[in-house]
Amino acid sequence: MVDTNNDALKSILVVGGGVAGMQAALDAANQGYRVYLVEKNPSIGGRMAALDKTFPTLDCSACILTPRLSEVARHPNIELLTYSEVEHVQGTLGDMRVRVRRKARFVDETKCSGCGDCARECPVEVPNEFDEGLGFRKAIYVMFPQSTPNVYTIDSSACIRCKRCVRVCERGAIDLDMQDSTVELHVGVIILSTGYRLFDVRKYPRYGYGRYPNVITAMEFERLINAAGPTNGHLIRLTDGAVPKRIAFIQCVGARDVKKGVPNCSRVCCMYGVKNAVMAREHDPDAEVSVYYADIRAFGKGFEEFYEMARSRFGVNFVKGRVGEIIEDPETQNLRFEVEDTLSGRILNVEHDLVVLCPGLQPADDLHRLAEMLGLRTSEDGYVEIRDALTAPLETDHPGVLVCGCADGPKDIPDSVTAGSAAAMRATILLSSGGAK
Amino acid sequence: MTESEEPRIGVFVCHCGHNIAGTVDVERVAKVAATFPHVVFSTDEMFMCSDSGQQLIRDKIKEHGLNRVVVASCSPRMHEPTFRRVVEEGGLNRYLYEQVNLREHVSWCHMHEPEAATEKAIDLVRMSVARAARLESIPVKTVQVTPRALVVGGGIAGLRAALDIADRGFEVVLVEKRPQLGGHVIHWTHMFPADRSGREVVSPMIDEVMDHDLITVYTDSKVTALDGYIGNFDITIKSNKTGEEHKVKVGAVIVATGFEPFKPIGYYAYEDSPDIMTLAELQEMPPSDELLRPSDGKPAKKLAFIGCVGSREPGVKGHEHCSRYCCSAVAKAASDLKDRVDEVVVLYQDVRTYGRGHEEIHRLAREKRVIFSKYNPDERPEVWVKRGKITMRWRDVLADDLLEFKPDILVLASAMVPPEDVEEIAKIFSLTRSSDGFFNPEHIKLAPLTTHTAGIMIAGVAQAAKNASETVVDASGAAAKAAALLARGEVEIESTVASVNPDVCSSCHTCITACPYGAMSIDESHDPPVAHVTEAKCHGCGTCAAGCPSGAITMLHSTDDQILSMVEALLMPAQMSGGEAR
Ligand SMILES: Cc1cc2nc3c(=O)[nH]c(=O)nc-3n(C[C@H](O)[C@H](O)[C@H](O)COP(=O)(O)OP(=O)(O)OC[C@H]3O[C@@H](n4cnc5c(N)ncnc54)[C@H](O)[C@@H]3O)c2cc1C
Repeated sequence: MVDTNNDALKSILVVGGGVAGMQAALDAANQGYRVYLVEKNPSIGGRMAALDKTFPTLDCSACILTPRLSEVARHPNIELLTYSEVEHVQGTLGDMRVRVRRKARFVDETKCSGCGDCARECPVEVPNEFDEGLGFRKAIYVMFPQSTPNVYTIDSSACIRCKRCVRVCERGAIDLDMQDSTVELHVGVIILSTGYRLFDVRKYPRYGYGRYPNVITAMEFERLINAAGPTNGHLIRLTDGAVPKRIAFIQCVGARDVKKGVPNCSRVCCMYGVKNAVMAREHDPDAEVSVYYADIRAFGKGFEEFYEMARSRFGVNFVKGRVGEIIEDPETQNLRFEVEDTLSGRILNVEHDLVVLCPGLQPADDLHRLAEMLGLRTSEDGYVEIRDALTAPLETDHPGVLVCGCADGPKDIPDSVTAGSAAAMRATILLSSGGAK
Repeated sequence: MTESEEPRIGVFVCHCGHNIAGTVDVERVAKVAATFPHVVFSTDEMFMCSDSGQQLIRDKIKEHGLNRVVVASCSPRMHEPTFRRVVEEGGLNRYLYEQVNLREHVSWCHMHEPEAATEKAIDLVRMSVARAARLESIPVKTVQVTPRALVVGGGIAGLRAALDIADRGFEVVLVEKRPQLGGHVIHWTHMFPADRSGREVVSPMIDEVMDHDLITVYTDSKVTALDGYIGNFDITIKSNKTGEEHKVKVGAVIVATGFEPFKPIGYYAYEDSPDIMTLAELQEMPPSDELLRPSDGKPAKKLAFIGCVGSREPGVKGHEHCSRYCCSAVAKAASDLKDRVDEVVVLYQDVRTYGRGHEEIHRLAREKRVIFSKYNPDERPEVWVKRGKITMRWRDVLADDLLEFKPDILVLASAMVPPEDVEEIAKIFSLTRSSDGFFNPEHIKLAPLTTHTAGIMIAGVAQAAKNASETVVDASGAAAKAAALLARGEVEIESTVASVNPDVCSSCHTCITACPYGAMSIDESHDPPVAHVTEAKCHGCGTCAAGCPSGAITMLHSTDDQILSMVEALLMPAQMSGGEAR
């Protein structure tokens, strides 16, 4: 399929449908430009869709996100290409040919109404990656209830081809023989907004993640406290279902650590750590909650005030110090470690029922390939290098490629949204001046 | 009731996953609602805001010929626009939609009383059904947009925003209160993370602005009045020197009025020696190979910095926030200046070098043997000046030692605070301010650049303390919002406004004095003259209607009849057929 009547100088490709990419798409589309939004997952929304609350206002993340999802989905100038990947790009500013692979979702997007009859019928259950593997989903699934587009997808690696879904689907939307297809796009500018992945906390064996079930990651914590999550929002230990009474948050796991190849600060972990500590106290006011940190970096609007509130109003205990090796008590499966409280100079020997590791952010898996294909410089830690922090903060080495959100470094939601808007502005300037600016 | 057909109401009760259904018996609410007058369809659904929930509404409108829709879910703040659009897509006027807040008003606040919560939910739904029966369609109106933008403030944010909008092809009027463009940045001698002076960064931007055909610059001038509404603002610009006034019409406004470095009077002996200065004052010192002490012009050998001066002070109004730029700026200055002096000491609370490359600057400073020492905010460092010599003493919390240092120059990293005329700017542009003193965005997470006043954007430090590179990203982002408005050429305005019944108006002028938005005037062309509403300016607050002694003003979509019907439904449930079903 070739898109022939497409004027590249009126068209923009956005790669990555997280909160940054969606904002870039909307702000370009609102200026009258045609936007193709390519997202590798079955739904747009990115990480924010999976978060529980957001700092510093504790707004429910999905609730503030869903209006955005539908705004993107219904925008007449935006074409969503979900479950898709950019395979090849050729050309330069104002004239780029892009080949996009549309992975077979085995469900016809135009026919599926998202009723869910198929999933009810499907006999196969697999761990749900949206819940960080803590809950289950079927082999035919939507990522989350507000998935956009609201279309089911068959996970071909899990499907046993029993065809029960095919039989119940009243609209005949399911096609088990569907093949991947490709689309050729002709665009003038590409905006990269591929977001981040989380640091693999197993690289710190001393924290015991993977060995001790009561050591979990912050993302798992977000899902556990989420009312739409695997436990309906009940914060429990995975070993025995008990309500944890002593919870630890360990900061900077895979950030500010030159030895682990992550020399930079990840910018969001302090605040999401503080937020989740507050949420832990909200869920159970009797729980003792401690945050072990190096520096608390509460630098955004309202952040310091929120941090102060966590201490004074919510009674979260903050300990400045590096945590040593974590040992599990085999009987209770509680966790013990030593930590030097650097403020008092004392060595503390502490025990917790639940330990939450707060991992740093790293560039999305696929960013390296995209950067290589587009000839973009990346930093030592893998992020796209911008041209100049003060005069060209969204521009890359490729004249037709801009970058926003976490693709050029960790950012929180407001900073990602702002960068998305800014990338849209720079893109439309490039196109409206015919590539002269 | 002017709507001629019999109301046919559909009620949709949302589970919101476990958020509502975990407390409220949503199935029962839906069942009871089905018995209320005019309700012809009632159901519950997992997520009404999901695509399938939205589709359900559209399908049921068709299937049951619904002409009113009630969704009982969450706060209308987020999703009223969603559902208004859904009913529109279903063929109904958007004002025939009514939302009940079962989450914030019921399940979240009565989590431990599921039964009482369910009763309350039923009450609220009954009230809304009663109101829905009395809702009326209101036409949706649009206004034209003047394709020109106003940028207030000629710092790096204002310059970037003005250039972006003009490069995109729209006219820009840029107003700067000082005689020169360039804001604070133009005075900085070294900026992080780039090794350039502020002048090197902004001078090319200023040249571009001055040469741009589409940009008109007013320096040494202020915006003194803003009238009108989104798409059609009337601006008055007044020259500080001559007092001359210019009137311009613009469609969108970007406020980029920045900050002032806090003058730390009363902190750390700031006024007691010319050698104690703010970071801004250090940045503005003329460049030279050696760092010279202001008091005697001799080269300084020992240098100290203190962080969080006027920032991060819990309970101190306007100083509770973190000023964000200073940790990295201090690390940069300390690292640079270490090459010219013997000793540099930095006293800090937390090192917040969060940005890309900032951690490297911090590490470099440490490698150059800049000494970083953490102080306790409850036991701030002491500084005194005796015979011109500065002494500082503090407790290093990590070593738990009381330390002393006699720097030749002491630099105070003072807070970013709003400029002194911030309140005047807030008034003119109808902006509100948060506890840091800077302007409030429309939504702190997802709409950081727009404000509650439609058509008015904020960018840079005007929104919150931040560094220059974050500021330019803001500026481009705010420019995108303005450009979208100018490119579209027209914009919808809210129709829930005041409406005057000319037959009853006694022309007493009460509403004119009452209206906070200048939306009421007297229509002299009417005989006799009566009150008149400029709808695009009206925010629908109802102050005029409450004040009107003749009852001549009706608030569209919040009529007395609609509101009283809700009160009645609450107090006299038996009057509605659903009353017995309880
Ligand atoms: C535990 C945790 C809690 C957090 N809490 C908060 C909070 O409370 N408040 C806050 O402000 N921030 C919070 N954050 C940060 C927040 O998640 C980010 O700011 C935000 O998600 C960044 O948006 P993004 O669009 O850049 O990236 P993402 O959300 O990661 O979105 C990127 C999108 O791009 C897609 N993609 C990636 N590669 C490709 C490709 N090659 N082709 C096509 N598509 C691709 C991805 O599938 C994804 O949909 C938190 C982060 C974590 C880890």
